[in-house]
Amino acid sequence: MEVIMAIYVAKRLLMALATVLVVAVLAFLLVHAMPGSPGAVSLGAGATQQAIDEVNVRLGWSDPLPVQFFRWLGSAAQGDFGVSLIDGRSVSADLASRLPVTAALAAGATLLSAVLGIGLGVTAAVRGGLVDRIVGAVCGLAVALPAFWIGIIFVYLFAVQSSVFPATGYVPFEVSPQDWALSLALPVITLAVGGAAFIARQTRASMLEALQQEHIRTLRATATPTWKILYIHALRYASLPIVAGIALQFIGLFGGSVIAEQLFAMPGLGQAVQTSVSTHDAPSVQGVVVVATVVVVAVNLVLELATKFLDPKLRAS
Amino acid sequence: MIPSIAPAPVPATANAEDTGTGEATPASTATGRPGPGPKAAVGRIQAHRLFAAPGAVAGVLWLAALVLASLTAPWWLPYKTEDQDFAAILSGPTAAHWLGTDELGRDLLSRIFAAAAGTLGTSLITVIVGVGLGTVLAMVAAAGKRTEGPISRVTEVMMSLPGTVIILAVIGAVGTNIPVVMAILGVLISAGIYRVMLGQATALQSQLYVDAAKVDGVSTLGISLRHVLPGLNNTIVVQSALIFAVGMLIQAGLAFIGFGPPIPQPSWGGMIQGASQHVYDAPWLMVPTGVVLALTVLAANAIGNALGKAPNAAASHLPSAADRRRRAAASAAAPSTAAAAPSAAPDEPATAGRLSVRGLSVGVDGGTPLVTEVSFDVEQGTVLGLVGESGCGKTMTALSLLGLLPSGVSASGGQILWNGRNLAAAAENELAGVRGREIALISQEPMRALDPMFTVGYQLVSAIRRLRSMGKAEARTEALGLLEKVGIVDAARILTTYPHQISGGMAQRVAIALALAGRPRLLVADEPTTALDVTVQAEILSLLRALVKDTGMSVVMVTHDLGVVADICDTVAVMYAGQVVESGRTANILDNPRHPYTLALLAADPHANTAEDMPERLATINGQVPQPKDWPGGCRFVARCQFAGSACAAPVPLVPSGSDDGLVRCVKADELAVEGLAWVATEVPAHRVPDILEMDSTVEKDRP
Repeated sequence: MEVIMAIYVAKRLLMALATVLVVAVLAFLLVHAMPGSPGAVSLGAGATQQAIDEVNVRLGWSDPLPVQFFRWLGSAAQGDFGVSLIDGRSVSADLASRLPVTAALAAGATLLSAVLGIGLGVTAAVRGGLVDRIVGAVCGLAVALPAFWIGIIFVYLFAVQSSVFPATGYVPFEVSPQDWALSLALPVITLAVGGAAFIARQTRASMLEALQQEHIRTLRATATPTWKILYIHALRYASLPIVAGIALQFIGLFGGSVIAEQLFAMPGLGQAVQTSVSTHDAPSVQGVVVVATVVVVAVNLVLELATKFLDPKLRAS
Repeated sequence: MIPSIAPAPVPATANAEDTGTGEATPASTATGRPGPGPKAAVGRIQAHRLFAAPGAVAGVLWLAALVLASLTAPWWLPYKTEDQDFAAILSGPTAAHWLGTDELGRDLLSRIFAAAAGTLGTSLITVIVGVGLGTVLAMVAAAGKRTEGPISRVTEVMMSLPGTVIILAVIGAVGTNIPVVMAILGVLISAGIYRVMLGQATALQSQLYVDAAKVDGVSTLGISLRHVLPGLNNTIVVQSALIFAVGMLIQAGLAFIGFGPPIPQPSWGGMIQGASQHVYDAPWLMVPTGVVLALTVLAANAIGNALGKAPNAAASHLPSAADRRRRAAASAAAPSTAAAAPSAAPDEPATAGRLSVRGLSVGVDGGTPLVTEVSFDVEQGTVLGLVGESGCGKTMTALSLLGLLPSGVSASGGQILWNGRNLAAAAENELAGVRGREIALISQEPMRALDPMFTVGYQLVSAIRRLRSMGKAEARTEALGLLEKVGIVDAARILTTYPHQISGGMAQRVAIALALAGRPRLLVADEPTTALDVTVQAEILSLLRALVKDTGMSVVMVTHDLGVVADICDTVAVMYAGQVVESGRTANILDNPRHPYTLALLAADPHANTAEDMPERLATINGQVPQPKDWPGGCRFVARCQFAGSACAAPVPLVPSGSDDGLVRCVKADELAVEGLAWVATEVPAHRVPDILEMDSTVEKDRP
């Protein structure tokens, strides 16, 4: 049994590695299709063609594509994504300083969505009637409202009207844990609105399906208390699609951080994508695409293995 | 917002089904895979659902108005998008500017509608590419087993990518060319669509008429286009509506972070971005664009959700809040203690271990009756058989004994007298004290009766601990003992298994052990052998017989099998269309049936006829059990009875049949007994023959 599990995990790891490789190739090719050579980008307008060419040669731009690719991949595998064409700083160091911001944002938003979503979804499924309709309407609205619009409304309510939270900016954890939490609050809530609605819908549907299963009747026939039927048995049965939904949500929220970081001026990966794409900073774009993919694929892998572990049929076979 | 590049909750549901825990339920048809069977209706666009949902109708109207308004914008817009009114910068709604102006004094109404056409049009590109590609991939994967693996792997990879980041990298390469960006977004989204479509396409491929077409030599492409694609119609429309909404949100999100159409061309996301700069001094600016965008997304979602709404076929097994309120009210109005109930006849003393059902009626709340005026008694240590075809109300009667009727169905009258209480009017907490401890249940499909997520040991031990107030170790010993008692040899191993790891017969033994956990005095067995192999059936029946003998408990056995009745039951109540039509001792009923329906059931049972008098043609009962809404006022069996006459149109009471304490509900019972009439086998009536032909042609017609 352990052997089968090990093979399964190994297969999944290989898939994850392949995914990252595919994205690496994609990122490399896309960046090469960007307008402007590295020399032109880094020297800016007004540079002589000779100077541009010199930079291009120094960066190996004129080498054949495969050579460039494997050189880049070799360093990338060791965590070196080169230097930014704009400010000459190490891309890896920059990303390393940005990753905690986005990770805190995405993890916080996923956690909040999961807690709120599961709570609302279970309530809607169990209470039914008016409560169900209200939760349904609120969730329908929450998925239809763009996160950036919700974010601005939150800024208006909690930072402009009453200054409970700072409107923008990020305070590192090392500086002040309390201010760190406060600075994360609005962006996390902003992202979690849509996420919670999504998970609530998933949870409601899964719980209703679970409560229609015949074994629920057996549990009642053996005098199982209602709370135990709901929160131990039905929720356990419903947990597989819910966890799958949370995994999807994390991928989405990681992308959503681009908007939250722009809106709340947070120095995270999303902001790095946005600025490096606007400035055609090739090494930064490549680096951030690869790092984002690695994070998303890794989290996905963990959640997928968790799903398999939750399902006795798959665990045992 | 850009959060989810993968479409709404559907892919997760598809995942859940892939993992195999959730048996494909009717509720998942619209989003997941339809079960095999006649699902031709799945493909048709469910327009009636659209018009049944007010939100969706509003959505259609809003989208139509928006498209019309934006297409005709040049003729009616009050201002050009670039007109600046310096007298009214950042103004709220005024007579001149109905929705106000932005920081350059530009009219919001004009800009919103000028931007609409581009937003809607480019979102359509995502829909066409995403849904189109996803559908084609699903059809290709469903058509050939070899293609499915690779396509599924590729889509899995696509779904686990940070789509937003990749879209931004694409923008880096191609610039803010919105149509191209939206097309690439469609490619990324197609993976999610594929997951939704694959199950349905595969189910359609496995339809019998598709097999027939393959035999006829129709090409793979022909089958996909003629038989599979039409079946996907409704799902395609549903997904298109949902992806349209996703497309608009993502496009607005991109414009918000500065990757929209080139300035000064207006876009909704760009306008909200502009508004966000003035949230301190002109918060109104946020409202018009945000509301229009949200309404448009809501409209598309409402249409998709309405079309995709699956009928909620199965009811919850937990009582809803309304059920609980009704029960509480009923038990407050009529105290469940039988002594206090005025209708409890004094000549029927409440005996311990005796079940007495009096005039029980069960019905859908506020509607159709399912069971009417059912009465029977079960003496301690005896077995009562509830017999009849499907749809006669046997299971509803049985479940009402434990107060376990499905949500929305309840006992509407009569009494269930048990140990001095009327369970028909007992409150939920009172019933909880009876369930398992006094009355236990075993059901038809043992596999589904056990929780697939927990081990046999967990389920059995926790039931014993709960019902017998035992410690963990003691309960485990008791569990081993119970499993041995129900004939399981390697009890210790079975305790560690999950239900899916044991056979059906073994699972039914476990279910019986679970029912015995609280040492009940009455066992309600709802067709406990129907789902099992014939040899296993016999074993389970002899196990039940032994348990009755050893423990002295009584059994209410629901069955449609007269062989089971002959084998194990002491008394029988034959049910037809929600009524008891004949009851009495098993020997009397089987040897000397008085009601035509009993007569017919016996004549139609191959096992009830012994070898020498086995007729050449087995009798049948024409027609079907009528639906409750079609029950006639008189005898309910009248339409199918070979002996029916004019006297049968009046309501028929249940009267003593003359043999022991037997009862029968038939005006002709005496006449039949005297004349010794038999239910005769009939030729297949001529009018049935065209039916069969017609069925064939229906299949033909169903070929889309």
